[in-house]
Parts: sequence; C-alpha cells; structure tokens
Amino acid sequence: MPIQKEPARRVKPYQIIQAVTGIGCAGYLLYRLYTVLIGSPTYGTETWARFMIAGLILGSVYALIAIGYTLVYGILRMINFAHGDIMMIGAFGGYFTLEAAKSIPAGGSNFSDAYPFAAVLAAFLAGVAIAALSGYFLEKIAYRPLRGAPRLVPLISAIGASIFLENAAQLLFGAQRRDYANPAVLTRGEGWTLVINGAKVILPYTGALTVILSLLLMVALYMLVMRTRLGRAMRAVSENKQVAALMGIDVDGVISQTFIISGALAGAAGVMWGLHLGLVYHFVGFIPGIKAFTAAVLGGIGSVPGAMLGGLFLGLVESLGPAVLGISFQLKDVIAFGILVLVLIFRPTGIVGEALTEEKV
Amino acid sequence: MKRQTMILVSVLVLSILLAGCGGGTTAVAPTTKPADTAAPATVEATAPAGEITAVAGVPAICADDGACAVIKPGVTVKIGMGAPMTGDNAAFGQDISQAAKIAVEDAGTFAGFSFELLAEDDGGSAEGGAAVANKFVADPTVVAIAGHIFSGATLAAMPIYEAASIPMMSPSATNPPLTAQGSKVFNRCVFTDAAQGKFAATYLFQNLKITKLAIVHDGQAYGQGLAQVVSDEFTALGGEVVAFEAVTPGESDYSAVLADIASKSPQALYFGGYTAEGVVIVNQMKQSGLDGVTFFGDDGTFGQDFLDRTGANGEGAYSTSLIPPASDARAIFDAAYLEAYGQPAGKLSPYTWTAYDSAAVLIQVIKSVAILSDDGNLYIPRAALVAAVRAVKDYQGLSGTITCDAVGECSASGPVFNIVKDGKWVEAPK
Repeated sequence: MPIQKEPARRVKPYQIIQAVTGIGCAGYLLYRLYTVLIGSPTYGTETWARFMIAGLILGSVYALIAIGYTLVYGILRMINFAHGDIMMIGAFGGYFTLEAAKSIPAGGSNFSDAYPFAAVLAAFLAGVAIAALSGYFLEKIAYRPLRGAPRLVPLISAIGASIFLENAAQLLFGAQRRDYANPAVLTRGEGWTLVINGAKVILPYTGALTVILSLLLMVALYMLVMRTRLGRAMRAVSENKQVAALMGIDVDGVISQTFIISGALAGAAGVMWGLHLGLVYHFVGFIPGIKAFTAAVLGGIGSVPGAMLGGLFLGLVESLGPAVLGISFQLKDVIAFGILVLVLIFRPTGIVGEALTEEKV
Repeated sequence: MKRQTMILVSVLVLSILLAGCGGGTTAVAPTTKPADTAAPATVEATAPAGEITAVAGVPAICADDGACAVIKPGVTVKIGMGAPMTGDNAAFGQDISQAAKIAVEDAGTFAGFSFELLAEDDGGSAEGGAAVANKFVADPTVVAIAGHIFSGATLAAMPIYEAASIPMMSPSATNPPLTAQGSKVFNRCVFTDAAQGKFAATYLFQNLKITKLAIVHDGQAYGQGLAQVVSDEFTALGGEVVAFEAVTPGESDYSAVLADIASKSPQALYFGGYTAEGVVIVNQMKQSGLDGVTFFGDDGTFGQDFLDRTGANGEGAYSTSLIPPASDARAIFDAAYLEAYGQPAGKLSPYTWTAYDSAAVLIQVIKSVAILSDDGNLYIPRAALVAAVRAVKDYQGLSGTITCDAVGECSASGPVFNIVKDGKWVEAPK
C-alpha cells in the first residue's frame, strides 16, 4: 500500500503580501516613532498634549456616532448612510433650544447664562428627542418598505434619504453656518489651563463634557444591550430574524427601537459637536458621518465595543498620525483610510469584530 | 405593498435627481433657431419702441446663422449665472444671485424687452461649472454670464462660452491664471489673488513688522493660489515662512494642525480660503496654543458673518475687502437688499457689491449693442457684445471704477485691508 504523501504546504501569494506589508508598515512606524520621540524630537510635550486632547474629544464624538452605524448594521445588515444627517438634525435641535434659552430673560441676564445646567440639559433633551424621532421615521419611511428587497436597494434608499435630509435642512433653516450660543460658563475655547513644559495647554470645558458624557452614554448603551430585555431581543434579531420571530420577538418593533436608540445617540453627538466646535449647518453631519462609518468598520462593524474603540482610535490617529509620520496635516484622512485598508487586509472583521458567518457577510 | 414600494423608490430617486440638479431655476425657453425668425415681416412691431429706432428686417450683422441672439417679443433677455446654490458654499451663491437680481430689476427694460437672471447651481466645482455652461449655451436667449463664482468652476466653463461667444463678468473668481488663458470672453470686476497676495505680504512685513509667518490654506484653487503668492512674496521681502499647511475644507475641527503650527511659534497666521474654514481656525487658535498670534485673512474671510461667528476671538484679525467706501448708490443698494431679503448686504458673502456690478455692467453693455428690428425682435450681435464688454471704460459701479484692460481685468480699485475693532470691520491703518 503506497504511503499517501502529505501535500506540501504551499504558501499562498496573498500571505506573502500580508506579511511583507505588515512588517513594512510596523517597521516604518517604529522608525518614525523613534525619530520623532527620541532621534530628533520635533514637538515638545505640550504639543503632544494638545494633539491628544484634540484627538480624544473628536474620537469620543466619532465613537458615539459609530455606535449608530454598528447597531443598525448588526440588525439589518445595511449601512444607514443617513446617520450623519440624523446627527445634524440633533445638532439643530440643540441649537434652537439654546437660542431660545438665550432669549428668555432670567436672573439678571438670560436663562442660558443664569441656569447653564438646565439650559444644556434642555438642549440635549431636545436634540436627542428630535434625532430619535427622525431615526424612527427614517426607518419607517425609507427602509421598512424595502425590508424584503435585495441588499443594494435599501443602501440606495439610505443615500437618497441622506441627500433629502441635507437639502430639507437647507430649505428649512437656510444655508448660512450658525454658531451655538453656549452658556457663559461653557464658552468655547475656555478651559482649565495646564502648564506643561513651560507652555500653557488648555483643556476646554466643552471638550471635557464631550468626553465624559459620551463615555457615560457608551456605558449606558452597553448595559442596555447586554442586560435588558430589549438588548436581548436586539441581539436575538441580529442573530437570526426568522428564529427570533418564532420565539415571539416583535422584529419590526425591535428594529424601530434600534433606530430610535441610534438616532438618540447621534442627536447627543450632534449637540456635543455644537457645544464644543460651535458650527452647525445643513451639511455638518456629512464628514462626521463618513468618519464614524470608517470608525465602525475599523472597530468591527456590528460590534458595539468595536465602534467605541474604533471611534476613539480614529480620533487619535487623525490628530497624532500626521505628527508621528511627519507629513502634512492635510493627509490625516489618508492615514485614517490607509489604516482602514490595512485593517481590512489583516483583520477583515475589524479590531474586535465578531466572526462573520456566511449568512451575515 | 408592491405599489407602495415602487412609489417610495421613485420618490427617493426623484429626490436624488432634484438634489443633483440643485434648486436652481429652470428656464423654459423656446428653442427657436435664429433662421426661423427671418420669416416674412408680416408681424407688426408690437414692442413699444420708445426712443430707440428700429432697423428694417434682420440687421446685416446678424445675417450669419447664430451670429446674433434673437429675442422675440415677450421673451426676456437672459443673463446666466453659475453659482454654488446648494451644499457647503450655498451662502455664496445665494448672496451673489440675490445681489445680481437687484441689478437686473434696477436695469428696467430696453425697448420693451426686460432682463432676467438665470441662476443655476454649479456646486462651485469644475464639473458643475461645465454642466451649467453647456446648459446656458443651449439656450439661445442667454446672452451674457455674470459669473461663474468659484475660480475652479469658471475655468471649466470658459472654453464653452468662448465657443458660443458669450461674454462673462465674474464678481468673485480671483484666481490669477484665469485671465492668462487668452480668453476673449472672460472678464472680472474683482481684483486678482496675485495683486491681493502681493499687497498682503508687503503689509504683513512692512506695516505689521512680522518676520515669522505661518500660512494655512484650504487646498482649493483660490486659497492655495493666494497662499503661494503670499509665501513667495513674503520670502522675497526677507521674512521667514515657518509653516505652510493645508486644511481639509468643510471640517469643524482644525485644532491638531493648529497645535502643530503653534510648535513653530509664528507671529502671525495668514489664511488663504473662505469664511467657513477661517472662522473655525480663529475660534480654535487660543485653545491650540496660538494665543496672541495675529490672524490675517483674505477677501474670502471678510464679511459680517466672520464677525458674528468669531465674536471676541476675532478681535484684531485682519482681512482684505472689496467693500467700497460709502456712497449714495451703495446706500440705495444696501437698503434695497435689506428690504428684499431681510438681511444686510455683505452678511452672506463679501461679493455682494461686485455681484451687483457684474450684472449691471453687462446689462448696460447689452443695451448699447442691442439692435431693435421692425420685425419686433431684438437682435443682440454676440461678437460685438464680447468686444464691447472687454472695452468697458470708467463705469462707476458700487465697488469703484470698472475699466477692463486687454486681458479682462476690470477692477480698477485695489484691495483694502481691514481689522476687527470692537466687533466691527474698520479700515486698517495704511
């Protein structure tokens, strides 16, 4: 009886490419890190601190928006491209609330300056409520009728919804860029002054609020998904819609609630964006939307902790990446999307992504 | 159910299409060929001729097919405008088209023919500019173009108008090479970036005694071109450019790039770009370690919008402007603008006054070359119109004297530098 030979293990070409790319990138990164930190330091500690602050704040907003993409993808296997515009609607909700608070006289000045906590809380409630409502109707109008359609169809519908929302906002509110009327204690650009390396580094109040609040919201969302009945139902629907329906779960109801939750998070992100960066106009959700989508894919689309990590990671990469690599800051998006490509090559499921089964891909 | 789905899909597709076309007005123009109008002169001249004497039949200059625009009685003479009416820079298009609309209304009628402004959305982009230009060229009643607004869109649109002999007068396309293309049709009543950059660099170095300058631009034709001129001129004067960085337009957070610039400790920051990004930069300079550094903007960052949105952060910032000195004509226009649109002129964009001038000067030239025929039609010889626009001399516009030179530079007044003092733009000391 002839001995069956074990077939020689052949190294596949893509594995070579993977290995070469990986070693090349890692090597270059280490070399650059050595150069900028030890070899010939370009920046003082104070500049690194400023980069970190900017990156963390931006990253926590990205993370909050990215969760919306990931929740919807987890359940419907579709990318809700109108999500960034839901954030824009939330930002407008907060804007008009703060404007109203500024115009009501109270306690010697106006309501917003006299009771900043109540005013900001009202802005968040208004932004979250209007964004959640928009999310609910978005799903009802643009996605639910296409539930059984091929997967490209709701995607096109999402792009249409996005364009519709942007232009509707322009018609409703005008094309001009507006600025958030922050309460006096939360003036943009003001903050705690840290002295690092002999230079003043400002940690903005609005930035601290953004980071803390988004971390709290993320923890709350994680508890909701892992510990509540609704969370369990969401996870079940995400596993398998048919079986979940057989188990007595109201699938459409769960989907609606998912859109409400993701809309609410986007609304909160919109108000934070407004408070910290000030700018609000009909197009304001576009770039954060794209970035948060990248963050969601980076972290592993469909995974909630993945979206959080991906968002923070992307924010930091955008502010630290050009400095570390010593290239122009205009190329920060190239770095961010370059990392996306690398992640898709080496770990297509994202940083903490779930293993995708055939059915889900 | 299926029907509902279909309706929904078609509504969404429609929304995409509508967004693609922008909210611009659509001209429903009769696509008559000039030859058709040379029909037997049985039509009596219904248009009140006024003091303008009508020539008999088709004017000799218009014998060739397409040599003239033929405007039939009851049809308006159309001035086209390609402007960003939607998207990121929609405020520019809105403002400029609104100001030009006032100029068209002020122009009244000519021998019973009235004028009309067709403002189409070109998105400010090159491909949008070409698309709008092709649309205008296809309309035989469009005789001149007050635009385009952005330099990129203008560059793409120029050859199309050139082929159709339609003169342009841009109120805001300031990229220097535009007039170096040898175009016969392109003119502008705004000073160039080269002139502005040179003046700005000299002002920074000599008047403000700046020796270490950081330069930021938005990477677009206008901003980058201007930044490059300032950089070259400033270096030539003996100053040092410590940073030359681009930012991505449309973003709301530039603190990382500003922190990078702060590490090079410049005395002033020159910005080439528009208000949208300029405001973000000014508001984030303090928290990024650029406290006390002078912000010096261009004519794209001038305007009430900049003041409203930078507040205390904007104090001491410089910019360049086309704002004319107060005059009676300007006061009348400002009042008309405020009444018609509920906003003060210059709030949405700094090009309000040149926009009025561009449309007004075009209409005046059209009136001077138009020929009324006894067949009731108005003939506008296209080649003569192109030549007449280039020959404009000593036209007193809102923005100053308009005199076109051989290449189509029509702004005779130079740039004015302004500084923010107590929340207002005031002319900076020379």
